[in-house]
Amino acid sequence: MANIGIIGSGNVGANTAFFIAEHNVAHVVLYDIQEGLSTGKALDMMEAAPVRGYDVRIQGSDRLDHVLANDIVIVTAGSVRAPGMKREDLYSENAKVIRSIAESMRGSTAKVIMVSEPVDMLTALFVQESGMDRRQVMGLGGVLDSTRLCYLIAEELGVTAENVQATVIGRHSDAMIPLARYSTVSGVPVEQLIDAQRLQELFDETRNSGNLIVDMAQRASSYYGPSAAATELAQAVNMNTGRIFSVSMMLRGELGVDGAAMSLPAVIGRNGIEQVMVPKLTDEQYSMFNSSAEELKAVMASAGGKK
Amino acid sequence: MNKVSVIGAGNVGATAVYYIAEKNIADIVMVDVVEGLPQSKALDFLHAAPLRQYNVNIQGTNNYADIAGSDVVVHTAGIPRKPGMDRMDLLKTNVQIAKEAGQAIETYAPDAVVIVVANPLDVIAMTMLRETGFALKRVVGMAGILDSTRFRYFIAEKLNVLPSDVFAMVLGGHGDTMVPLPRYTSVGGFPLTELLSAEEIEQLVNRTRKGGGEIVGYLKKGSAFYAPGASVAKMVEAVVKDEKRIAAASAYLRGQYGHSDIFLGVPVLLGKNGVERILEVELSEDEQKALDESAAHVKEGVTTLESIYSPR
Repeated sequence: MANIGIIGSGNVGANTAFFIAEHNVAHVVLYDIQEGLSTGKALDMMEAAPVRGYDVRIQGSDRLDHVLANDIVIVTAGSVRAPGMKREDLYSENAKVIRSIAESMRGSTAKVIMVSEPVDMLTALFVQESGMDRRQVMGLGGVLDSTRLCYLIAEELGVTAENVQATVIGRHSDAMIPLARYSTVSGVPVEQLIDAQRLQELFDETRNSGNLIVDMAQRASSYYGPSAAATELAQAVNMNTGRIFSVSMMLRGELGVDGAAMSLPAVIGRNGIEQVMVPKLTDEQYSMFNSSAEELKAVMASAGGKK
Repeated sequence: MNKVSVIGAGNVGATAVYYIAEKNIADIVMVDVVEGLPQSKALDFLHAAPLRQYNVNIQGTNNYADIAGSDVVVHTAGIPRKPGMDRMDLLKTNVQIAKEAGQAIETYAPDAVVIVVANPLDVIAMTMLRETGFALKRVVGMAGILDSTRFRYFIAEKLNVLPSDVFAMVLGGHGDTMVPLPRYTSVGGFPLTELLSAEEIEQLVNRTRKGGGEIVGYLKKGSAFYAPGASVAKMVEAVVKDEKRIAAASAYLRGQYGHSDIFLGVPVLLGKNGVERILEVELSEDEQKALDESAAHVKEGVTTLESIYSPR
């Protein structure tokens, strides 16, 4: 059975460990910069193991090297948004943490799942600083936005969410790009089932749903969705399932972008990103995708290489 | 706990029971005319319960009265198709079996949704509808979900992706005249037509069309039961849990897609009332033509049925 390391034992990190245990995906090592926190949460989960029938082992560690030496490393470390904050406001602070993790992982064969925000910038930073193959590093961006859109479409039509596939690409921010043409209900294009105006409203709601949870919960960012998505990604790598997720990845020429990370659908397997699936975009979507890339690069450049 | 009765304790029936038990969907009654057969299978399942941790009850019986109060009745009973045998050859025997079952369902489980599995599917479904006298939405045939799961698997295998990431729609009658719709088939949301050439798609469509036959050919004796059992369990779950799941299934048409008074495979919304809605998707001229041919084939079956059948 594979081993998964999780950096950060806050809400997202601990819930990811919890979902991994519930689905018996893999053994987990939890880490947190706050001494004892990961051990306490791991112990609490393992004491539930006899009742819940876990086959996996969850352990806590205060040593970062214990966590990095795993087949899959899930990075949730860093600050989370407060109400009113944008994801990119977190960049300069969280970049320090991510840069040091990336430096410690140079040459690693692990697959990295980036959850920390702003995810697109930190995914790009991680690839740059670790020198790892870009296919090894997947950011939780479009998968969350797609899941939210999927839920809204299912609600709108009164069908089970299992019937819906939705695709959202681009930046994990208000500039995300939902793709009606690549969203279907039981194979039928969603445009046939929901009129254009209503579909646009659902897109806007998707754009706003991350913010909505931050506002409603006050201080805490959403974490059930991200934890579930991180678990599914880890499962896809671990079991080599070939499941398709829209993940943030370092782009090398896809849709005209080079050197920034944003979400595109990809087949996920044991090597991480096995295959990128490039959708056909309208001119407007294409230019939005490219201007997002320029913005990401600009924010990263202005924060500079400060260590 | 909900209650599901499965008529016919053969391979398809028993495999459906297996999937229903593994997911703790409902208590189960297995009915068969062969003495000892449903009892033995039910007991065998229960012996595995401590290991597999299912907490549903499973009863085997030769007495239709035990289906009383069922939320769903699955009708799988009938003689199986032998290699080279046309589905229509099964007609007389299986219509007689369906008549008896339909009358029992009307008597003992008057509020059930009936899922018909026995072949020839679209004709047996008609028999069941007439014998039970149920509302149209409470009798549905299992076909399209099986044809589409095969199509989905073949696509996933070809593209090396997770099978459940492939969505597909297969309409029409169950058999050689099924109408797979590549245009309404998507892989992670991507239209299949963007990922495979027309020729490659045609190959997979043909393999799907002969999907049942391919298994029969390997087995020599008997036909497929894992995928059919899983398809039944998925439909049962959709009804019991009121999932509002869209799936292709054989439903009684009254004008939809230009056809009336036959059971034909179309996209339906499955919930606690059975077929809660029939979805009408846009068809191209060729697709409509293929569906019309399929409907004509089913109508022939119904005409044959009229010649051997008189409703009560």
